[in-house]
Amino acid sequence: MSSLVFYLLTVAIFFCIYCIYGWGLNLQFGLTGILDFTYITFVAIGAYFAGVAALQPGNGGLGEQYILGLHLPFPIPPIIGGIVAAVLAILIGYVGLKRLRSDYLAIVTVSVGQIVWTLIGNITPLFNGWDGISGVPQPFNSVFQLDFNHYQWVFLVICILFAVLGFLIIERLTHSPFGRVLRAIREDENVAAALGKNVFRYKMMAFVIGSIYAGVGGALTIAYIGAYNPSGFTTMETFIIWAAMLVGGSGNNRGMILGAFLVPVLFNEGTRFLPSPPGNPLLAESIRGMAIGLLLIFAARFRPQGILPERKTVFRLDGLQQGGEAGGDRLVPQ
Amino acid sequence: MSLLLMGVGFGLITASVLALASVGLTLQFGVTNFVNFAYGEFLTIGAYLAYFFSTVANLNIWLSMLLAALLTAGFSWLVNRVVIQPFLKRKAPLLILLVVTIGLSLFLENGVQAIAGPSFEQYAASSGAIVNIGPMIFTTQQLVIIAIAIVLMTGVHLLLKYTRVGKAMRSMSDDPDLARISGVPIQRITDLAWVISGFLAGLAGVVLAINVTSFTPVLGSQFLFIIFAAVIVGGIGRPYGAMLGALLIGLVTEVSAMYIDSAYKTVVAFAILVIVLLFRPQGIFSSKGRV
Repeated sequence: MSSLVFYLLTVAIFFCIYCIYGWGLNLQFGLTGILDFTYITFVAIGAYFAGVAALQPGNGGLGEQYILGLHLPFPIPPIIGGIVAAVLAILIGYVGLKRLRSDYLAIVTVSVGQIVWTLIGNITPLFNGWDGISGVPQPFNSVFQLDFNHYQWVFLVICILFAVLGFLIIERLTHSPFGRVLRAIREDENVAAALGKNVFRYKMMAFVIGSIYAGVGGALTIAYIGAYNPSGFTTMETFIIWAAMLVGGSGNNRGMILGAFLVPVLFNEGTRFLPSPPGNPLLAESIRGMAIGLLLIFAARFRPQGILPERKTVFRLDGLQQGGEAGGDRLVPQ
Repeated sequence: MSLLLMGVGFGLITASVLALASVGLTLQFGVTNFVNFAYGEFLTIGAYLAYFFSTVANLNIWLSMLLAALLTAGFSWLVNRVVIQPFLKRKAPLLILLVVTIGLSLFLENGVQAIAGPSFEQYAASSGAIVNIGPMIFTTQQLVIIAIAIVLMTGVHLLLKYTRVGKAMRSMSDDPDLARISGVPIQRITDLAWVISGFLAGLAGVVLAINVTSFTPVLGSQFLFIIFAAVIVGGIGRPYGAMLGALLIGLVTEVSAMYIDSAYKTVVAFAILVIVLLFRPQGIFSSKGRV
């Protein structure tokens, strides 16, 4: 198999994973207006726990230290990843979601991101510290007995299955009465509360479901790469997903697919070949970070509703529901 | 007991750095009513500007600090005018504003890293003679830091309490609409709040860099949530609360570092933040909530 095909397969797999990340964040911010500035931490927690669920018991071949080591077969590790991410979300939600102002949750998420990152790096017995865990078995690899290159196709199919399932669930949620309450909360929490909706409970549910998407996405990531360490979940990773959501269309799951293609795939792959002079080995990385920051600001300034805006259901006398552009008048009042 | 007092000594230094930073953040919040997530990078920029003045231009460290703080103040004004104001003019919602400041934070941190490189830097200035006050150990540099904090906190107090500008700021913090119809020049007061906030951030960045001896472009962003802890403990948007919050967080983190691994002192600050948010989200020093 040519290296180009291999490269394209890798990109396709990450595209699927970024879609899953994006839908989770979209449910949190796009639909509910929850500011989760450390989405990648949920991805990381999901990845780590899925990793140690799939690995043999600790202190294995490479002398790595980690907890658990349950050696469970695939689809169980992603489920564990999703559950652990959900538990973390419940804990954070209890601290940050109770207040009406969104600043508080944003502050809590930024702080949690810092703390979790420091703790995972410093406490080596958890997930082997800054070196991270490696050698996570790839799903079904022992069943098919394929070589490395052909196995990529198997993993792509797994990712597509997860992505399709994720899309169907998130679309169902978005267009259900549950999704309608979330949009009401986003537009005006007080009105939703006045209509008898338990705002805290709905926000918590959106936050938790979004985090499950992060955890499952993280579990797929570690299953594909086979390794994970703290350099995989820096702040910038969170904002690549944010930029993808804002560019694609916040509140629109199809827009999110476009965003996942435009930002993480095109943009990130396109800047892969920036120079790295010896005096400043992180120059390319820095320029990419600057660009993501600018992208966030410009997207918020010129098209906060994204390329594919959310469709608003409009009340009509003839009883038909008509879709139309909503984002424009939602995010940028005249 | 002497261990405790030694911790208190370190705590006073951290509290001084923290007080400068958190009063700057909370003052801007009070007037504009949104959190600036790029505030940590203002500290970083201050620290690197002072590095430039002291190491490249060979100026005295305290003169470098003053220049750096003035430039950071100007930069903060520019950020408000160029980045923030266009959004406020279009009445962008709070959510979008917060996304913008965090985008700015990502841009600035990586910008500093692109220019200065990711390696550790250190000021050339010596930390001065050792001064013992009981079991507490200070360098003269650290005593100067404490003095700077005391002088500036007094300055902020006098500004808020006894000047027309301070009165206007407090009125905007209490009720922006009422302030506007009472003829408070909103635009000028907002500009001024950003300038003061930037000045304090610049100073705080330099004294933080002096205090931790060597620093990288993530200096400010890693310190940001400790600033948040101090600000929230004191009640967000309340300068006096931020001063007390800084004192509390500074003392508790440093005293705890005497007894547990000092790598976890940020965890202690985080624990305080969580406890305050759970049980007294309006801040432990404020009489009534402002959320």
